[in-house]
Amino acid sequence: MAQHRLDTFTLVCPFPLVEAKQAIAQIPVGDELVIDFDCTQATEAIPLWAAENGHPVTHFDRIGDAGWTITIQRAA
Amino acid sequence: MVITGLVLGAVLGFVLQRGRFCVTGAFRDVWLQRKTRWLTAFLIVIAVQSVGYFALLQFGIVKDTAKALPWAAVIIGSIIFGVSIVLAGGCATGTYYRSGEGLVGSWIALVGYAVGAAAMKYGALKSTNEGLRSITAPNLVSIQATLGISPWILVALFVAGVGYASYRHLTAKTKLPVATLPARYTGLRHLLFEKTWHPFATALVIGVIAIAAYPLSYAAGRQAGLGITTPSADLVAYAVTGDAKLINWGALLVVGILIGSFIAAKGSGEFRIRIPDTQQTLRSVVGGLGMGIGASWAGGCTIGNSMVYTAQFTYQGWAALLSTLLGVGLGVRLFITNHRRAGAVTPAAAAPSPVLVNA
Repeated sequence: MAQHRLDTFTLVCPFPLVEAKQAIAQIPVGDELVIDFDCTQATEAIPLWAAENGHPVTHFDRIGDAGWTITIQRAA
Repeated sequence: MVITGLVLGAVLGFVLQRGRFCVTGAFRDVWLQRKTRWLTAFLIVIAVQSVGYFALLQFGIVKDTAKALPWAAVIIGSIIFGVSIVLAGGCATGTYYRSGEGLVGSWIALVGYAVGAAAMKYGALKSTNEGLRSITAPNLVSIQATLGISPWILVALFVAGVGYASYRHLTAKTKLPVATLPARYTGLRHLLFEKTWHPFATALVIGVIAIAAYPLSYAAGRQAGLGITTPSADLVAYAVTGDAKLINWGALLVVGILIGSFIAAKGSGEFRIRIPDTQQTLRSVVGGLGMGIGASWAGGCTIGNSMVYTAQFTYQGWAALLSTLLGVGLGVRLFITNHRRAGAVTPAAAAPSPVLVNA
């Protein structure tokens, strides 16, 4: 299992989610995608999208003020 | 009592920021994700407000100010507005509350929006604005007037429809539980400055704020509910003329949104001054001006038209809502679905997580 990283800092919503969807399709099943983002709305949109599509969230936390990181494992 | 505008605006700004209540996002999700969760939240605001508005009308606290539909200006203006809010990354209130979060792109869009609206209402574009708005459909004022029925029938049907849609969303299950951020606070501080608010709960609160806006605004001599575009134009007009009459209840309302959203963002560790890249800067400039021009033609933004006039069941409100939704769809096609960033995904080891220094 490998980790892949998607840095979307400075991108406004909905681009972090748009890129997350594109990125998850590019990585092998079982690999993890670490998404860093600083658009507030994505704190709601990205976890919801992961839950709806059955991708487990293995890590979700803040990085300083108005910054977040979420790790999503690609499900089949 | 114009000061109540500032207070209500601050409450609204706080709720918008903490609830992540973004109308652009709600309309965008319909096209981009084929999802209606946030759109349903938006319709809840209209439903709650329609009950309050017609009750206030019944008791003679507010007046029916609906006019004949300036259809050409409403449709063209709302489509321009819809495309522009996608470019700017937020509608009028969205741009205000994101400005309070420290997004410089939203500051740029906000200035463009206010200047564009001021030019249309008071300045160089006044005749352009009035020319298109003079084309009206005299028989189209409100749905209840056309049908010759009590507005309460429409209120009941609308509330029932929105209630059913809400129930469907609330009982829908996700495949996995939705992940949340680790809690740092407890009690009231957790609720106000940390917890993720459910969109429908936020919508109920905004509906109540929108109702409260009527008596408070009327008491201050401004006969209208929530509004963003004219107050924003008034602030620009005041800045360049010094005419103190322009600082009315509405102008203080929008200033309050900035203050309230800043308090909410700062209190929850979500304030940081963020500089947009070249592309987003250009989009904010064009989107902001387009928002000001579009909303002026349309006679309101996503709040004044799509949220307030819809609750009064006027044709202007519903024509604006549908045209804005269409404009957002066009904007999504032009600027979002074709988004690609080469090399966006990297192996995790290649780049360490960014380390940010807290201010």
